[in-house]
Amino acid sequence: MNIQKKRTLSWVDIILTLASLEVMAYFYYGVRTLIMAGLCMAVSFVCDWIAVWFMKKKYVPDDLMSLADGLAIALMMPASIDFRIPMISCAFAVLVGKNLFGGRKNIIFSPCAVGYLFALTSWGNKILMYPSPDKKLEISAENAVLSHSLSYDFNNAGNISISDFDLLIGNFRGAMGTVSILLLIVSAFVLLFRKAVSAGAFTGVIAGMVFMAFIVPVSESRSESLKYIMATNMFLFSSVYIVSDKRVAPLNNYYAFFYGLFTAVTAYIIILTTAKENMIPAVSVIMTPVALLFKSIQLKADKYASEEKKGEINEKQNY
Amino acid sequence: MKSMKNRITDGLLRDNTVLSAGMIISPAIICTTSFRDSLALVYAFSVITFFADIIAYLIPKKLPYAVRVIWTSAISSLLYVPVRELTMMIYPESVERIGIYFPLIAVNSLIVYQTQHRFLNLDFRELIGNLVFYILGFDIVVLVCGALRELIAYGTVNNKVMNISMTVSGAGLPFGGFIILGIICGIYRKIRSLLSSGED
Repeated sequence: MNIQKKRTLSWVDIILTLASLEVMAYFYYGVRTLIMAGLCMAVSFVCDWIAVWFMKKKYVPDDLMSLADGLAIALMMPASIDFRIPMISCAFAVLVGKNLFGGRKNIIFSPCAVGYLFALTSWGNKILMYPSPDKKLEISAENAVLSHSLSYDFNNAGNISISDFDLLIGNFRGAMGTVSILLLIVSAFVLLFRKAVSAGAFTGVIAGMVFMAFIVPVSESRSESLKYIMATNMFLFSSVYIVSDKRVAPLNNYYAFFYGLFTAVTAYIIILTTAKENMIPAVSVIMTPVALLFKSIQLKADKYASEEKKGEINEKQNY
Repeated sequence: MKSMKNRITDGLLRDNTVLSAGMIISPAIICTTSFRDSLALVYAFSVITFFADIIAYLIPKKLPYAVRVIWTSAISSLLYVPVRELTMMIYPESVERIGIYFPLIAVNSLIVYQTQHRFLNLDFRELIGNLVFYILGFDIVVLVCGALRELIAYGTVNNKVMNISMTVSGAGLPFGGFIILGIICGIYRKIRSLLSSGED
């Protein structure tokens, strides 16, 4: 399989795993989630196509990764949100977060993280209020009863009462695609084995969170602190689809590990000190210079290595 | 060779202070979160820059460059004092919101840099003409930016509700200002290139 085909399949893997999360969201909240996902993907596609057209480039299958970005942003939203908010966030993510910096081949920020951060700063009050998964929503969602997420309760109280089963199947308030913990764990394994996400970055994030949860636990019990921090604050979802995004994370797993580690540690500290929810997408944007630094170090190291190799070959030939 | 009329109006269209030359970007982005704040900024900027440059024209040109710049800055800083008092009387909340960027207008790059490199080499009539249009160029951009950002971020223009169903409060933040100004800049440059190619 050549490299071109490998790249084309990565976004398919990501969309398939996101689609499974979307199915869970539909199970809890109803057809509204499907409409939102469809609209977000459509907006992402159209904006990406327009941007590629303006840049006078050819639209290739790899550009369809924008569909994955749109679906990811939809899954990071409350199920009851006004449709226009995720649509504008998707447009912002694709146009500003991705194409303003040169498009697919020059991605600096994770478009999902940029889109979510934009939504958080522009509509913070609406983005952080969630409906209960007990009741299916109408398409208009006018009568949805909203309240704070489990992440909010955990960040502020340090302890929450929820059964492990409910935690695993995502039967609690939160962004519609980021709460199905069991499905997220399975998706993570699938994407890791399919090499669709950065294994180094993912390992780094997990290691960072585990380390911090043991050193500075949020709850009284270290194991509970680790369990709940992994299940809340979009931690798993962001680890898989944002921090481990191969377009952003350093290519070398060694450097990607440290990028993931720094992201996790910084996010944990912010959650611990400010009790703000869902900080990993924001921190991943802030950590972009770290990722770029690692990438430039890697490029220089590769360049020196190849120059040394050439020098050795020349010496052998002369000898 | 450009006619005198074209050279004078450069500051408004061809060589706009903000959109083309990229000067005085910080106040144009940070302070234009509402139309009223933009009005306060425009008023202070126009008065200080105009009178500071007129007075700077009288400084002997034989003086070294650095000394001329220091004198020009001192003059504009002195002008800042009465302008601030007047602005406080008309736009008191705006002056507080603009904060540190208000006194920084006294040393904006149009006074410190453009004056020395461009305006002082012109004769007095041409100076007045250029100055007016360069200042107008900044004023128009700032007012348009302020109105747009207030409309998108809060659904009002000059505190009048405009019946917008959806607001994006991010437009009121600095990153929103950068993006909106960048879009205006892009549209301006496209129009300018179309007009230039039309003239050719």
